Amino acid sequence: MNPGDRCGKMRTQLDSYLNREVPAETSREVARHVEICPGCAGELATRVRVRAQLQAAVRSPAVPAGLEARVRRAVAGQAARPRTGLWAVAAAAAVILCVVLVSLLRTQMNPEEAILRKTSGRLVAVLNVGLRDHLRCAVFRKYSKQPAAAGKMAAELGPEFAGLAPLVEAKLPDGFRIIQGHHCAARGRQYTHLIVAGGAGGRKIVSVILTRKQSGESLGGGIYQAGVDRFQVVGFESHDYLVYVISDLDAQGNIQLAANLAPALREFLASDPR
Amino acid sequence: MPHLHELYRTAVRLLGDGAKAEDAVQETYLQAWKSFARFAPGTNCRAWLFKILVNTIHHHRRNWFNLRRARESEEILEHTAGCAAPIPERIAQREILLALDRLPADYRAAVLLADVEEFSYKEIAGMLDVPIGTVMSRLSRGRKLLREQLGALARSYGIGAAGKEGG
Repeated sequence: MNPGDRCGKMRTQLDSYLNREVPAETSREVARHVEICPGCAGELATRVRVRAQLQAAVRSPAVPAGLEARVRRAVAGQAARPRTGLWAVAAAAAVILCVVLVSLLRTQMNPEEAILRKTSGRLVAVLNVGLRDHLRCAVFRKYSKQPAAAGKMAAELGPEFAGLAPLVEAKLPDGFRIIQGHHCAARGRQYTHLIVAGGAGGRKIVSVILTRKQSGESLGGGIYQAGVDRFQVVGFESHDYLVYVISDLDAQGNIQLAANLAPALREFLASDPR
Repeated sequence: MPHLHELYRTAVRLLGDGAKAEDAVQETYLQAWKSFARFAPGTNCRAWLFKILVNTIHHHRRNWFNLRRARESEEILEHTAGCAAPIPERIAQREILLALDRLPADYRAAVLLADVEEFSYKEIAGMLDVPIGTVMSRLSRGRKLLREQLGALARSYGIGAAGKEGG
């Protein structure tokens, strides 16, 4: 084994060596190697340092004042709570009443709000930013399902975003094509929106939506997918933008499409400061 | 109260939200109280509490958000991560937490449990209910991504643009 291969092999073992998760013979081998290899010794020192910094950072937040008392109260309350009988009947009645009330409220909402209210939570609130535009602009709006002329679409998207349509078009599966591209606005924010149609009888609708992140909105480094009613929402962030792929495809189809589009969309957003 | 701080800090990193972390910790102790009869004396109480926490968070993710992280996202993240650069000597806590929070949830959980809470790979396999090989694979990829993100910090500081590292 040449020295480079040996170092490569040793470095794959360094973290498990630190965790004492390698067999005794491997442990001795790593220890002997780092004694004679300054490069791997430096790498081991870096990993020790990063781990110490990671531990210090994760351990830094203090437990909020009152959490311990709250947990103690909850456990004491659980311990004192009757498990059957009148309390259970009352709780069940309360739950049923809540469900009925929520159902009544939902019937008075418009269909967009009714769908959006079915999701909750901070991350889903960020996903709803895109879903709201998809519902408003691609689902509950009357528009021509015939593909717009390329020149018209480019004009509507403007010079900054005209290059987006061909990039997306190139990554669509067979039988899908962009029928509209435009800018739209809802609740005080601007969206860049491509509407794609295709699939079974051309009836499946996909939105590719870009909008600038606002304060407090984040999807971190990942790609998230949520399903609500017949819609699948994929969201991720890239270069100050939230990016969404939303459709009535099945979950696997939608994530596959988003995975095909994501590198091109990231590259597009990285290419030109907007 | 035993292990409150460890459970809370892990929940904060896994959920990314202090209020939800408090709820998850409270529910962990409640579940522990309810299922205490199933706790086998002599086994690791701390690992048992962490297993309940992981289950609680998993359950909440499913029910609160109907949200899952796509497998493809992990591949895209790795595919688009830059080449390795030297990791800066001084990293602010905020920056290291940001890099950690950007890891896919499965990798983040494995890294937290192994490298911060220092559980054995076997204990982690039990907590996450996955084979030990899966734990090792998630750890390997999670640590690599973390190093790449910290290396990207170095590039943003203008330190060594093209350093190479193995492992």
